[in-house]
Amino acid sequence: MKGLLKYLSPFAPDQSGAASVLYDMGGLTIICDAGGCTGNICGFDEPRWFLRKSAIFSAGLRDMDAILGRDDRMVEKIQDAAKKLDADFAALIGTPVPAVIATDFKALSRMAEKRCHLPVLTIECTGTRLYDEGEADTWLGLFQKFAGMEPDAAADKVKPAEEKSSVVSGSEKRADSDKTGTRVSEGMSESEMYGKGAVGVIGMTPLNLSRIDADQIIRDELKAQGFGPVYCYGMRDGLETIKKAGETVLNLVVSPSGLPAARYLEKRFGTSYRMEYPFLGEELKKELHAADGKKILVIHQQAAANAIRAELRKTSGAEITVGTWFLLDEEFREPQDVHLTTEENFARLVTEGQYDVIVGDRMLERVLRNYEGRWMHVPHFAVSGELEETPEELSSCATGNSVL
Amino acid sequence: MNRTVDCITAGELAALGKDRIPEEFQSSRHLIYSSPATLAFNSPGAQGFGVKRAGLAVPGSVMLLVAPGCCGRNTAALNALGYRERFFYLLMDDTDIVTGRHLNKISQAVREVVDSLKEKPTVVMICITCVDALLGTDMERVCRKASEAAGVPVRPCYMYALTREGRMPPMVHVRKTIYELLEKRPRKRTAVNLLGEFSPFMEDMELYDILRGLGVKNIREISRCRDFEEYLSMAEANFNIVLNPECRPAAEDIRRRLGIPSIELTRLYQIDKIQHQYELLGGALGTKIDDQVWYQSAREKVDNFGKNYPNTRFAVGEWLNGNAFELSLALLRYGHQVTEIYGTITPEQFVYIRKIAEISPDTRIYSNLSPTMLNYDCSVSAADVTIGQDAAFYHPGCPNVPWNQEEQPFGYAGLGHLFEALFAAREGEKSERISATCGDERGERVPASCDREKSGGISAASGNGSGEMISAARKDEKNKAVPTALESETQGEKITGGSV
Repeated sequence: MKGLLKYLSPFAPDQSGAASVLYDMGGLTIICDAGGCTGNICGFDEPRWFLRKSAIFSAGLRDMDAILGRDDRMVEKIQDAAKKLDADFAALIGTPVPAVIATDFKALSRMAEKRCHLPVLTIECTGTRLYDEGEADTWLGLFQKFAGMEPDAAADKVKPAEEKSSVVSGSEKRADSDKTGTRVSEGMSESEMYGKGAVGVIGMTPLNLSRIDADQIIRDELKAQGFGPVYCYGMRDGLETIKKAGETVLNLVVSPSGLPAARYLEKRFGTSYRMEYPFLGEELKKELHAADGKKILVIHQQAAANAIRAELRKTSGAEITVGTWFLLDEEFREPQDVHLTTEENFARLVTEGQYDVIVGDRMLERVLRNYEGRWMHVPHFAVSGELEETPEELSSCATGNSVL
Repeated sequence: MNRTVDCITAGELAALGKDRIPEEFQSSRHLIYSSPATLAFNSPGAQGFGVKRAGLAVPGSVMLLVAPGCCGRNTAALNALGYRERFFYLLMDDTDIVTGRHLNKISQAVREVVDSLKEKPTVVMICITCVDALLGTDMERVCRKASEAAGVPVRPCYMYALTREGRMPPMVHVRKTIYELLEKRPRKRTAVNLLGEFSPFMEDMELYDILRGLGVKNIREISRCRDFEEYLSMAEANFNIVLNPECRPAAEDIRRRLGIPSIELTRLYQIDKIQHQYELLGGALGTKIDDQVWYQSAREKVDNFGKNYPNTRFAVGEWLNGNAFELSLALLRYGHQVTEIYGTITPEQFVYIRKIAEISPDTRIYSNLSPTMLNYDCSVSAADVTIGQDAAFYHPGCPNVPWNQEEQPFGYAGLGHLFEALFAAREGEKSERISATCGDERGERVPASCDREKSGGISAASGNGSGEMISAARKDEKNKAVPTALESETQGEKITGGSV
């Protein structure tokens, strides 16, 4: 039956994807809900929430707000928070409540911008779609609204750098460390200071990468290749790097959720992009090289799954299919790749395909009650809420998340 | 740069009075800040019991969540607690939430779920969310239809977050739902039910002994029912004791349907008030309760802590098994200090706030939910011990007693165990200090900061482990659906129900 889950739990929804992209951006993130969605997003889908603060709020909608469509009250609340917190922008994320009452997000955005004197981004999530769609809308929205903007020009109220708000963006936190101690000389762009130029990385969220320290991995990797600076949009790099997106010589996309934004940046700034996933650890690579099967199914988000397939092909001549519950981009798929939609459809694929080996999050194995092949576990946070590695600080926090 | 935090002293608040609570402390007037300290408010099910887990309190039940995927996302966290085989999902799509066509699929989904199980469930709970609240779905009708199709009882659970400040909030509603399967049986004079929580009370809670002393042979709690038959035998009770005000509508429903009256007792930490409450209970039952043994035991633990750690400074949160304001008042009356309270200010709390103001007018009161808590400076800790998971968040380097365990504290036993835990926390801190002096790096005090990346974790807060939490937040809010027969304004003691 379509929509019925008997063995799996729901995957991360669009609103979690949107909130994840915005987590380190340094704005006010307002989830238009009654509270439960915010609890789900932060308490389950955002591991960074237990480690560092972000200005993330629930609109605290109540039945009469929804019935009477009291958008003005929500705008008043945003205005109040904006006054007290000095944010550079605000983002409103939809949930099922505004979806049912057909909230006019464009009008809401205009009202809020006028009253709060802040740029306001709206992401019309419904809670019915998956996280990567919410991410894709948010990346695109951010670049459309802010890329190419002068630094510090996001808000009407321009603030000196040292007076940056209490709404801490990731880029502020790691400001100097990324520049390896070198200060940018007057009249030179940052990219001119570094060999091959600046690189943007799109798609950096724990939901995609099942890691919260992934930015460090990719910064090291790209710097070793002679690139720099590296803008890990959304993972410790905030709005200031989004504004500088036009300066990059290349955009690296680590999840299909970043592709619409990368294509937009290509069209607007001529920046080329490529999809890569440089996060497969050495241990996993070894395990993949040892996989012996004639037919292998790889299930993950498309960038990760493609990288796993490429790794498998280094040592195996097996027939490899990528299956994903999430976005499957035509440009990066092979003809045999499949989009998974239901538990039945997944079980049938495995039975009919007679796969010897399946690589994917072990939570999915529950659907295959009688599977006799080999299952190689590669966690996908958006599926099971499991991280590749749980940092010590996280494991000491008492939370409801299964990663802990 | 704006770094203000909305805060008010007990003295200022008491002077304003319950009709002039400042807007900054009214959750309906501002955005709700989302931090680990507010998780229990935003999503009670994320830890402890929310509607989904609570709805499965009936033995042998399963749940079908009919909602957009986002509503069931965190349910996976319950798998580790043994609920893996008990949750099913019917996910709505965009068309469903506009047209309500998902309602036509529920009967088939229930049938498929029942057919997929080795044992027929005792009841299928259908959990619905904000979408159906707004669509105005008649779930009683939908459940009747599904029950006919699947051949098992089907009951609705309303996870309507939109109504959390209404007359029947979700956690109140679900407490009523779980007793709705009880059917009238002959009452037995020797049977009593304890209503209110989804997990058992402490084994050594004196109320068990008191009831046994009065001749009660069967003391039943839903969380201790081993099977459905035992659950159904709760309908034999002579009377119910309500130990959580959120269970009042359930008790009233049981009285109306099954003719079982109820008495309400309040969880208190002021020892004289606990004693007084038992006097009132004895009066209602037409007897005198001798509670001296338990009184003395709790008193000794309170005094022992006071003797070893006089004038301790506490920061008290609301994410605990108790009322933050009542607990703070108790600590002040035992001769300690309460520097900060993180609580939700409602008119009902003024019973305690006024008394706190008399003893300690400078106690600072914060609202966890205020957006300005983002600016809260964790580096200045004025507390020796924090109580509550939320208080631990604000004082990461301070010894903490989470006091949000699933095993429910009550009465003298609860008070005694709390002071044992506080004693252990302070002893632990002392030994850490000694270790630090001796150069043991384990004794290094963690810098106080809400930013875990800087502070290096909340070691003190983690002692309770994950999943051992109960949302105590907002338990006393505006839940006045059932009139109380014998309600005392003094320290919140309530004995209701009259004749038993």
